[in-house]
Amino acid sequence: MGIKLSDKILKSVEKPSRYTGNEWNSIKKDPNSVNIRFAFCFPDTYEIGMSHLGMKILYHLLNERQDCYCERVFAPWTDMESKMRENNIPLYSLESKDPIKNFDFVGFTLQYEMSFSNIVNMLDLAGIPVLAEERGPDAPFVCAGGPCAYNPEPLADIIDFFMMGEGEEIINEVMDAYNRWKGTGKTRQDFLEDIVKIEGIYVPSFYKFTYNDDGTIKEFIPLKPHYPVKIKKRIIKDMDKAYFPEKIIVPYTDIVHDRIMLEIFRGCTRGCRFCQAGFIYRPVREKSPERLLELARKLEESTGYEEISLTSLSTSDYTGLEQLTTGLLEDMEERKVNLSLPSLRIDSFSLDLMEKAQKVRKSGLTFAPEAGTQRLRDVINKGVTEEDLLKAVSLAFNGGWSSVKLYFMMGLPTETLEDVEGIADLAYKVVDVYKNVPREKRGKNLNVTVSTATFVPKAFTPFQWEPQDSIENVHQKQMHLKDKIRSKQITYNYHENKLSFLEAVFARGDRRVCKVLIKAWQMGCKFDGWGEHFKYEVWMKAFEECGVDPYFYVTRRRDYEEVLPWDHIDVGVTKKYLISESKKAKEGKVTPNCRMDCGGCGAAVFKSGIC
Amino acid sequence: MVNIRIKFRRGEEVKFISHLDLMKVFERAIRRARLPIAYSQGFNPHPSMVFGLPMSVGVTSEAEYGDFEITDDSLSMNDFIKRLNDQLPDGLEVLAAKPRKSKQNIMATIAASEYVVVVGTELECDEKSFRNSIKKYLSQKEIIVKKRTKSGIKDTDIRSMIYDLDFELQPLGDINIIKLSMLVSAGSKANLKPELLVDSFFEMLGGSFEIDRIHRSKLFVKAGEELLDPMDGKVL
Repeated sequence: MGIKLSDKILKSVEKPSRYTGNEWNSIKKDPNSVNIRFAFCFPDTYEIGMSHLGMKILYHLLNERQDCYCERVFAPWTDMESKMRENNIPLYSLESKDPIKNFDFVGFTLQYEMSFSNIVNMLDLAGIPVLAEERGPDAPFVCAGGPCAYNPEPLADIIDFFMMGEGEEIINEVMDAYNRWKGTGKTRQDFLEDIVKIEGIYVPSFYKFTYNDDGTIKEFIPLKPHYPVKIKKRIIKDMDKAYFPEKIIVPYTDIVHDRIMLEIFRGCTRGCRFCQAGFIYRPVREKSPERLLELARKLEESTGYEEISLTSLSTSDYTGLEQLTTGLLEDMEERKVNLSLPSLRIDSFSLDLMEKAQKVRKSGLTFAPEAGTQRLRDVINKGVTEEDLLKAVSLAFNGGWSSVKLYFMMGLPTETLEDVEGIADLAYKVVDVYKNVPREKRGKNLNVTVSTATFVPKAFTPFQWEPQDSIENVHQKQMHLKDKIRSKQITYNYHENKLSFLEAVFARGDRRVCKVLIKAWQMGCKFDGWGEHFKYEVWMKAFEECGVDPYFYVTRRRDYEEVLPWDHIDVGVTKKYLISESKKAKEGKVTPNCRMDCGGCGAAVFKSGIC
Repeated sequence: MVNIRIKFRRGEEVKFISHLDLMKVFERAIRRARLPIAYSQGFNPHPSMVFGLPMSVGVTSEAEYGDFEITDDSLSMNDFIKRLNDQLPDGLEVLAAKPRKSKQNIMATIAASEYVVVVGTELECDEKSFRNSIKKYLSQKEIIVKKRTKSGIKDTDIRSMIYDLDFELQPLGDINIIKLSMLVSAGSKANLKPELLVDSFFEMLGGSFEIDRIHRSKLFVKAGEELLDPMDGKVL
């Protein structure tokens, strides 16, 4: 029986249609007709979670199975949460409105470290014990996957098992194993013992860590000899054959990405050294333009969406881009479907394409030079020169655009004040380019927006050993840059660094930070990624009460020899390669795009993609 | 070009969708149904469709109306209804469709709406006393309520916006369930939200209450001095 949500509750909360389900293409099944009930949980709001492609894929993939009913769960916003707690309404799934504590699986997708406190909160709201060791025979298995699972340790006490890498195959193997286990009377432990044999499954309770006197990890020890010492991520070898839904849910209420997302490839060949996605998703594997055109047609038919967006880490690197976009524009012209092209490198081809694709007014163009000087761009291996950038903005201004956004990172390794000033210089050069474009060609009212984000060193990148720049330093740099930017045509955006500090703890934290997470949640922390809810002081108090030093994780430089909390996870890219990239970064040496020259990163082990 | 007026139902499943979101639901359903809807000109073409009265979130209705403009003269009304219903989510259903010749769209002509509001109250009342209360309520020269407008909260007299008020009483243990049916002004000139009437009525009675649900049962357009069904041949 589903829970009953009274009108009174729903009328009293913001955007109630987030809590009522029944959207077009949502899956309706008789829960009694299946053997497995899977609660797919996104630890953030409906609007964020419904915009996530991975969830759409796995939701429909699991529901293709006759034996399984996969339903969606999002973090209720705080107004709804208090109503639920007041009225003893446990966390429920959107489809059947059944409490998820009675499900077989509760699976979280980990997209962002700052949503971890919501995981704890959602489990508690569901009435499921937060700690894995406290779950009894009737509790669901709590599992997790997604990019943040590559450093699983900060959630080790909470999650029963992790699925490493792309979920399309491994999740089916786990479901099959569950069918074999369910009803046999065997224990939870037996099930975990069984699935640990599946490649990509990591059961944190099957391992322990020992530590050195200085707090670093001494050893990662499997509790039984046959548990794998390296857990290798799973990937889909042939993207054309990989499952992709032909129907996706069309929400009622506005979500962040309310359109068809067409995933054109996975991985990235550019090797920017700060970018975790660039390493963990290797190797690059493309879908063919033919398959994508077929998917686009089917998705447009089944959803009625008026916009298609190409999704990847770097649209311009797709080898079939011209064929695909020509085909899409042709197919979608009559249907009045807009094509949006994010992360496109700006050149004459792409500007032309954008004019054809979006017959709307010329809104802003976004560039991400990431660093202000060539020296620092070489350190981070961002293969963009000042000349490239100025040429691109010149093309854009000549084409009638007049609004550009420039994204930078602050606190990158080796960064000096000179690099910070370089950001301002670059912005002024962009203004000069505009001034040199004939009046009749350029758009009116130039607007250059400079945004800086604070760099957070991440696991599985060449910067995983680097300290994060201190909150104070970055603040000074921000003030310095603010001082340097005095043009009315340039706007400078930056934000507080305290959230980046906390993100840095969890991005490279070990098993010992898990108790801080739970403590902070007990003290009221949730929705940390939402400015109005982030409580830095409370978090610091939680660290103190747990006797855990956050600076140990954030501002400490690691040795190459140190055992890192994620060393037992194998993403393909080897530690040896990351060390060589780290050394090259320090020497300011660039590494070419893997399409030009194989750097031997290790991802070739998957025997697929462009490797 | 053909103009079509439809009547549709909005059920429990979709009653928490906002008016703006409901328009998007129809727009996408029409795209999926491949119905030949006319689009506006310009940079951002919009399908030519106009809906009646925006409804408050949480209200169900069996009398919603929308006007559509289509480009294919040969499309039958039955075909239009069937193809659209196949693409509408549970809770939304087109009940009727008729061609429209009148230039005035639904939004501009709506004049009144009938609601059924189910209220629970601990107030002691019987059939007779309640009828008297309603009489007393309606006999007032003016009924002043606080109405939220764009320029803030204002005192407004709603008496002239109430055409009719009736009730059914169902005792349920310690409380009374009262089904209030009301015919009130609706549309752009004068619009009375049923909650405001109920608020002021119970304020007069001096008792606490809780609205359980609100349902729109009818909607009327004005032709001369007459209130007519929007699907009536005289207004189409």
